[in-house]
Amino acid sequence: MNLRETTLAAIAKVSKVDVVGIRPDMDLVADLGFDSAKALELLVELEEALGIEISDEQAARLNSVGDILAIVDGM
Amino acid sequence: MTDAFSSLPTNLREALRRAALDFPHRGIAIFDSRGRSCERRSYAELFELATDAAARFAGLGVGRDEPVLVALPTSWEWMEAWFGLVMRGAWPVASSGAGAMAAAEAQFEKVDKVMAAIGARQVVASEAFQAQAGEHGFRFAAGGVITSERLRGAAPATRGAAATGVSDGGDVAFLQLTSGSTGLPRAVMITHQGAIHNPVASDEAIGAPFGEPMHRLAECMVSWLPLYHDMGLIGCLMLPMLCGLDSWLLRPEAFLARPRLWLEHLGSHGVSFAPAPNFGYQLCVERIPADKREGLDLGAWRAAFTGAEMVRPETTGAFCAAFEPHGFRPESLRPCYGLAEGTLAVTFDVKGSGVRTLPAPAGADAGFAMTDVVSNGVPIRDTSLRMTAPDGSILPEGAIGEVCIKGPGVFRGYYRDPEATAATLKNGWFSTGDLGFLADGELYLTGRTKDLLIVHGHNIMPDDIERLADSVTGGGGLLRSAAFSVARGAAGEQAVVVVETADGNPERLAKIGREIRVRIGRTMGLPLADLVFVRRGRIPRTTSGKMQRGELRQHYLNGTLERLHDGPTDETAPHDAGTEPGP
Repeated sequence: MNLRETTLAAIAKVSKVDVVGIRPDMDLVADLGFDSAKALELLVELEEALGIEISDEQAARLNSVGDILAIVDGM
Repeated sequence: MTDAFSSLPTNLREALRRAALDFPHRGIAIFDSRGRSCERRSYAELFELATDAAARFAGLGVGRDEPVLVALPTSWEWMEAWFGLVMRGAWPVASSGAGAMAAAEAQFEKVDKVMAAIGARQVVASEAFQAQAGEHGFRFAAGGVITSERLRGAAPATRGAAATGVSDGGDVAFLQLTSGSTGLPRAVMITHQGAIHNPVASDEAIGAPFGEPMHRLAECMVSWLPLYHDMGLIGCLMLPMLCGLDSWLLRPEAFLARPRLWLEHLGSHGVSFAPAPNFGYQLCVERIPADKREGLDLGAWRAAFTGAEMVRPETTGAFCAAFEPHGFRPESLRPCYGLAEGTLAVTFDVKGSGVRTLPAPAGADAGFAMTDVVSNGVPIRDTSLRMTAPDGSILPEGAIGEVCIKGPGVFRGYYRDPEATAATLKNGWFSTGDLGFLADGELYLTGRTKDLLIVHGHNIMPDDIERLADSVTGGGGLLRSAAFSVARGAAGEQAVVVVETADGNPERLAKIGREIRVRIGRTMGLPLADLVFVRRGRIPRTTSGKMQRGELRQHYLNGTLERLHDGPTDETAPHDAGTEPGP
């Protein structure tokens, strides 16, 4: 899996939404049902799967699937 | 036993001074934001830190009985500020800082509104908080923020900084924020007496099954609860300080990211106890699968409290099944009931024989989807409990009524809100807005009269959700929205919004619906389990136009609410969040 696929797989795992249904324009709370517990679960999943550390400031700005993919694209 | 209550400290300043003298080897360990490393200081060190901070607060012009917000995460900066204000004789008001998933701007707005409502001039917060609030144009950012740097750099007042003298136990010690119906948090006035009696009486109740107060048996409390919540502040900070125990404090985010951390620490610092809302136990079950439980040893965890939201037998049962092989004792699970207006604790299970239930009686709220109701135990020392009918008459055992409480923990009133105080506090009896019944003197909760959602232990007023929904104008003649919660099994309460509209265009409604979900999500970090559009006039109202959320919720649960358009965003909604009652 490339980084994007790894990221989408992590989002699918935490949101329990099939990975094929996940699109970049989706909002984490409104479309994928994230609450703060799921958001933090996702951060841990991403950090472990990608071997990165996401700062609190970065995390506070993550609203959509696209916002997360942008971090990966910047790696 | 009784002498503990005849010689209680008269106020929190005295309580901290005694902790410093009497428990020199005890203290507080606070973990960093990831829960990796911790910094431990003794109560003696905390006393010194707070005494020094009190002089500096005085030097900054903070006066006696002045409310000052503390918007910091669980940290030594928080301790310095909160206890420094207590030593000064000012009133700390713990407030949530910026949290994950909720827009920072919403947090600043909340701080701004609270400060205006309670007449606070200052908020203790971080430099980043001040800078960002300034960028967003909030006035309090200019001069109204005391950062830790500013506090430590302030010249200490040389005289009269620390409040002295015997303050009357009935004096206000601090304000506890809780949700209010006007969209503003209410500031609950907690007395020194309440803040001291309540935790010490809790210690007695917690120890009841062991035949002695819990502090004689235990070494420590391990908590991830936020300190701006009464269960975190009173249960996990005041109680250990008053009873001479160590307190291990994780930030809520550290627990939500890695729930196993909480359990690891509960098992590794000697005999321990800890409270959490039902949701915390549920999270442990779901997020720590069997293969991740290896190596956990929970034998030291002798009392596990569950309160602050409805206790679900499904959750407690699953938790016991999951962790009993790792040393957890099912009889350690102890339901309790409390609320901010009671300082914290009202009832505790004192039998210590596990979670006990009765079949849900007719008249239990169907929206909570309970087949069984849980015993929350009996009132703590000096505290009385009764159920009342809507006309105020006192009901016999077995009859469902509003839970009313009286005792030393009952608050003095809502600060600067005499109407709300008069409506709920009469002759020392506080009407909680919760519904329940007594059986053999034990409290069973069945629902609530107040329009309130409790999601993950946090109280949310429907008005706050509705205001955001109403602010979305899609050009379709949007009228009015109503919010309530429904519970489904172990998932607990989830938010539902019903929106009246004159628009019938499915595409426009879908667009509006998504915008509503986004706005509520970005501002409150709250996902909606369901969003329903109905024709105008379908939200029931009284003749005076007051919205009847309870009746609306009943229609929703019965499936008699006619949807205009079948779930505008259902196509993208997650599988497990739907709470569809009808076809």
